[in-house]
Amino acid sequence: MMAQGFKYGGYVGQLLRINLNHKGVSKEPLREDWAREFVGGTGLAARIFYEEVRPKIDPLGPENKLIFMTGPVNGTIIPAASRTAVCAKSPYTGSFFHSIFGGYLGPELKFAGYDGLIVEGKGDHPVYLWIDDDRVEVRDARHLWGKNPFEAQEILRREIGDEEIHIATIGTAGEQGAPYAMILIDIRAAGRGGIGSVMGSKNLKAIAVRGTGSVRVPNILRVYNTALRINELVATLPAVQGLSGYGTPRNVAAMNAGGILPTRNWQTEVFQGMKEITGEVMRDKVVKGDRACFACSINCTKYSVVPSGPYKSIINGADYETIYGFGSICEVDNIEVLCKADELCDHYGIDLISTALSIAWAMECYEKGILTKKDTDGIDLKFGNAAGMLLMIEKIGRREGLGALLAKGTREASRVVGKKSFRFAVQNKGLEWPGHTCRPFPAAAVGYATGPRGGSHHDIRPTAEKSGLVDRKVLEGKGALAAEINHWLILCDSMLLCHLGEPIWGPTKISAHTVEALNAVTGWNLSYEQARKIAEREWNMIRCLSAREGFNRSDDQLPIRFMEEPIPEGPMKGSCIPKETLERLKDDYYSYRGWDLKTGNPTQEKLVELGLDFAIKDIC
Amino acid sequence: MARVKVRTFSAIRDVLGAEVVEVEVSLPATVDSVFQALLMEYGEDLKKKIWDPEAGEMAPFLMRLNDEIIRSRFDSDRPIKDGDEIAIIFPIGGG
Repeated sequence: MMAQGFKYGGYVGQLLRINLNHKGVSKEPLREDWAREFVGGTGLAARIFYEEVRPKIDPLGPENKLIFMTGPVNGTIIPAASRTAVCAKSPYTGSFFHSIFGGYLGPELKFAGYDGLIVEGKGDHPVYLWIDDDRVEVRDARHLWGKNPFEAQEILRREIGDEEIHIATIGTAGEQGAPYAMILIDIRAAGRGGIGSVMGSKNLKAIAVRGTGSVRVPNILRVYNTALRINELVATLPAVQGLSGYGTPRNVAAMNAGGILPTRNWQTEVFQGMKEITGEVMRDKVVKGDRACFACSINCTKYSVVPSGPYKSIINGADYETIYGFGSICEVDNIEVLCKADELCDHYGIDLISTALSIAWAMECYEKGILTKKDTDGIDLKFGNAAGMLLMIEKIGRREGLGALLAKGTREASRVVGKKSFRFAVQNKGLEWPGHTCRPFPAAAVGYATGPRGGSHHDIRPTAEKSGLVDRKVLEGKGALAAEINHWLILCDSMLLCHLGEPIWGPTKISAHTVEALNAVTGWNLSYEQARKIAEREWNMIRCLSAREGFNRSDDQLPIRFMEEPIPEGPMKGSCIPKETLERLKDDYYSYRGWDLKTGNPTQEKLVELGLDFAIKDIC
Repeated sequence: MARVKVRTFSAIRDVLGAEVVEVEVSLPATVDSVFQALLMEYGEDLKKKIWDPEAGEMAPFLMRLNDEIIRSRFDSDRPIKDGDEIAIIFPIGGG
């Protein structure tokens, strides 16, 4: 499956392009200079996107492009390197967006002979792609339209006659252009930013992939030794090894003890009902087995079953974000309900974080009297009402009644409802917040505020401050810390390394292990400084994409609640990031980055330094 | 002597066998004395959960000492008195 003569190891050297306007399929060489400058994944997709897609386009129009991109480490034996980037202009935030998912599809795409897949145009009827090594077909998917992702996958596996293919599908939400629709990839999700609706806008129901090739590396022994070393770290680093036992919910109880478990639409960060939704309870009551992504020894994924009753469900999870979103944020203290909520989101194909936060926002509106039973179709939408929450997920999925408004997310819903409800819409750039607080953590705060996606815990990680590795109470140097955390994250998103390995890949800056993994598979001999320069180039490239859409310093915000309402109880009581503190942190961050303090965007000098001269005419 | 309650969760709780265990340390004592006592009692199994072999020191995590948040890497010299409670709060990345 190797394209002959590609200069660097780890790459196939070939991109697959599908134009759905005329069902055109083309294979084109991967540019060697772009591989070297942007590595792969999000970084490379951002460069391609900048080149090929004009600003200000309609994200749900045929001009938008949906790019699935692998990285050089994908498909090798290096653990925690199984992720795939799917990128497009988001219909939810209005800017370039990357959603990263785990599992098997990225490695499979490489085994089929492609570093990435670019989908453009729009089918005149529903279609799916069947990528079977060299053979690529655009097939009729009218019989799949209206099916939930898992039904569609089952039909495709039967139709193609291969149980081992890997499939990306959208649900009905994506078909209908719901603002925060997601893509399901086998059992994993590219959840955020409405990427599923971009896929749906192209009349593309599914992508099925079978690959039988392999990934070539220049020195197999070096890759083997690197994998061995990283596997040893997975097995011995306390912050990583614990993931296999309880998955990402392992520290729900600990976070509550630390006063950082977001609760009641972020009104507080201590949840009285925590004991019923911990990783331990989940393991005891619903977990039936463990699952891992391709070649990964972290083994964080749980497989859970509620066998009968009103919450009967089978899910991949629950992950921490489910427990946060439908548990503490909506004050529902029943693990079986959370499994059902997770399953409903998957079946409709909607992002569970945005769904949960939208419901929690509505619950707060209801308790404040801004919404009444007349607005909620008779549902007593109080915090803690599990049945009401599940009904509201269904309404969002079907965009029915209040669900039609909540399906637009908290930013838009609060604009419609008014009555100061924007003050408790917990989002930035339209994207609702994940379950990781920044009120006590200044570097995380400025990282969230300046992140290209908004409320994403994958543009910044609070772990350096949350672990005590860095003093959370000090403001000085936090702009630099946030920038260096951005760098290790974006380099991971280009190599497609999983952020759950953060003590290995980070956590305060790009680690030697990350650089070694990249060097081992590509044959490059990058120093730390050279690797950091690539990451800085990638981060600036993404900032240019946002700037080209009109984003600037004023968009780098935190939810009003985080700036004006200190945590009211628990050991972090009193923590918040006042507006003036945030502005000071932003100055610090932009200065460290060499960005213009007024616009918050890269300067001409910075773009020249990073080899991004081509963007000067657009943003300077 | 000081009796100190240690509250743990998930993987560390599994090693200790209970959510809360009590340890006795001689006064004057520090947070570090409490960890030394725990390691004496629970040995290598506990060490694997809290020790960073690459850094050759305690893994970084927060603790709640009564109502105050302290740090494993920097606050282990904090004095301990009879009746204190320590909760170990490992960081979580999130999916």
